[in-house]
Amino acid sequence: MTNSKSEAKAPAKQKMTTWEKNQLFWGWLFIIPTMLGLIILNLYPIVDTIYQSMCKTGDFGKGNIFVGFENFSRMFGDSEVWQALLNTIKYAIIEVPFSICFALVLAVLLNRKMVGRSAYRAIFFLPMIVAPAAVAMVWRWLYNSQFGLLNNLFGLKVEWISNPKIAWISIAIIGVWSILGYNIVLFISGLQEIPHDYYEAADIDGASGVQAFFNITIPLLSPTIFFVLITRVIGALQVFDLIYMVMDQSNKALPKVESLVYLFYRESFDFGDKGYGSTIVVLLLIVILIVTVFQMIGQKKWVHYE
Amino acid sequence: MKKRLISALLVSAMCLSLTACGGSGGSSDGGSSDGGGSSSGAFRVAIWDNNQQPGIQEICDLFTEETGIDVQVEVKEWDSYWTLLEAGASGGDMPDVFWMHANNSQIYMNNDMLLKLDDYIDKSDKIDMDKYLPQVTALYTYDGSYYAIPKDYDTIALWYNKTMFDEAGLEYPNENWTWDDLYDTALKLTDKDAKKYGYALNVTNDQDSYWNIIYSKGGYVLSDDHKSSGYDDPKTLEAMDFVGKLLSDVCPPASVMAETQTDVLFQSGTAAMITQGSWMVPAFKQNEYTAENCDVAMIPYDKETGIRASICNGLGWAAAASTKRPDDCWKLIEWLGSEEMQIKQAELGVTMSAYEGTSDAWASNTDLFNLAAHLDMAEESAVEGVENKVVEYPFTYNAVKWTSQCQKDLVAAWDDPSLMEEKCKEFAGTMNDIIASESK
Repeated sequence: MTNSKSEAKAPAKQKMTTWEKNQLFWGWLFIIPTMLGLIILNLYPIVDTIYQSMCKTGDFGKGNIFVGFENFSRMFGDSEVWQALLNTIKYAIIEVPFSICFALVLAVLLNRKMVGRSAYRAIFFLPMIVAPAAVAMVWRWLYNSQFGLLNNLFGLKVEWISNPKIAWISIAIIGVWSILGYNIVLFISGLQEIPHDYYEAADIDGASGVQAFFNITIPLLSPTIFFVLITRVIGALQVFDLIYMVMDQSNKALPKVESLVYLFYRESFDFGDKGYGSTIVVLLLIVILIVTVFQMIGQKKWVHYE
Repeated sequence: MKKRLISALLVSAMCLSLTACGGSGGSSDGGSSDGGGSSSGAFRVAIWDNNQQPGIQEICDLFTEETGIDVQVEVKEWDSYWTLLEAGASGGDMPDVFWMHANNSQIYMNNDMLLKLDDYIDKSDKIDMDKYLPQVTALYTYDGSYYAIPKDYDTIALWYNKTMFDEAGLEYPNENWTWDDLYDTALKLTDKDAKKYGYALNVTNDQDSYWNIIYSKGGYVLSDDHKSSGYDDPKTLEAMDFVGKLLSDVCPPASVMAETQTDVLFQSGTAAMITQGSWMVPAFKQNEYTAENCDVAMIPYDKETGIRASICNGLGWAAAASTKRPDDCWKLIEWLGSEEMQIKQAELGVTMSAYEGTSDAWASNTDLFNLAAHLDMAEESAVEGVENKVVEYPFTYNAVKWTSQCQKDLVAAWDDPSLMEEKCKEFAGTMNDIIASESK
């Protein structure tokens, strides 16, 4: 923060002291690697993607022709895009609340002193360190309607990933399972920042564990919950790998499950139409920006900073 | 206050980086993730078939012994192979030597992404383009120039499970079978309650499944001038109607085939018959179950037309136009295409080789199966009144686009074959639009 102050002062023609110059130099030195990374890997691609969304792109990135909003008008008439947007939102509606609620409860439980605590923590975190593709392949076999463990164990005949009515829920369950560990870790670190005195005071006043949870834990954990919420909503709206790996192209449930990023991938890489693919992803960017802005406004109502 | 600032910063940074991932993740991954190998001096060779990897590596090792050039064979799965190759082509970081496929060759050749081989071929004493199967050479010739040396060719045949036939007391398939024989026998083998099926049709691979039926029944997929769709041709529709009959009566439900690949269904004894390409031989050879229980016969013909059709495709060895070592690339391609190594490839059972006179070497690579079924396809028919027709793989400038679209548009018809005619006609229009819009 001092760095930005000295920067602000500089134009006021005050002579910088050696200490301030040092601060300036080292400050920039430390943030430049990150900034370069952000600019090269994030900012430039964003700008280029927006530009490409207004192009009829040529093969192998050569010969892009600027066509204005042609891709956008095509997208507005493309019912598949809107279905995909709906699918994406439906996925997020399951993945985000469930992964947060379960993680919160589990984090509170795992934060107590108990036997085998580290073992449980490791178990819940395991899905995070497994490659998403491997997760998807394992679940694909669990869900398999002919040979799958789920159907054979419980004697069911459910087409988990081929029935359009339930396939999106099946996919979301994988999503919840695989993100749980990450959320738990964040919540546990948040929980450990809450001073123990509050709980002692509540105990003396005769509050039950549940009351303490809702009146102490949740309010004091709200900044962490907010952070998890924002990142999870963004992450869930970008779901791709699970769908891509679990659902075959000839799966009849695919139209009811495919997400915006899935559609983007197919247009850009299977069909080679980078321009239209970019248009789809720009739509996603706008959706995410809107959702995030509302969340930033909404946080004032429920997030308590110390 | 400070906390709020930090969290706001974190959030905005996340927001940015996450969206950027969505926007460009694919392309930036593709370009850089595998770039590391090239600096070590090893030569990068990319292929997509795991089953062929050991054989190809062996041939490349011989090349290393001969020339001292290190060769590293990388296998990428079919889908990611093309994503990576395309990203590499756009970003100027392609593997040095790689496989080319008829689906994609036109667009790569047209955009000067492949090394032109004409001068090298002229100077070479090992390569004579007349020695290769002309159907394959044609796929990699553009504007009279050669861009790849044929590696192999493939034909489709009917694989069957002997044990399942024995149990049902039925005669094995043979070269006299018509498609109706296949249907009738498959019907006898199908017991839906016991989850046993007579046939499995791989709808996601047009080449080894329904395209053969279309051509056998006198229809076509793409017109001879490569300009218009044949999906609305009456003969094609008739053939697709038969495909629908197979799907609804003797195949596992479409959802089962979408969840479990048809070759897995065949290898697990769920489906008694399957039409498969010759490239699957190494896999079936290695699989204990298929090695013990399965064999192969010629693909059936159609009673009315008397045509026995097999789509024939062949891969080519191509090099990147952007490679830093074009001469080494050529040395390797020349090696892989030489008569000696083409025979070696056949002997190892990697695939049938494109070089003339190599078929005996391939036929003898295993005695588990009657491999003549695959080879006879390219010969004169031994059955009277039947014509063996090797159909050149249908391609256009960007064939991937309409073949992928087809997989997507026909899903409803696989699930409910009564929609077949409607969906095929609909797709014919879409396909014509796609071909018309292909940039030239």
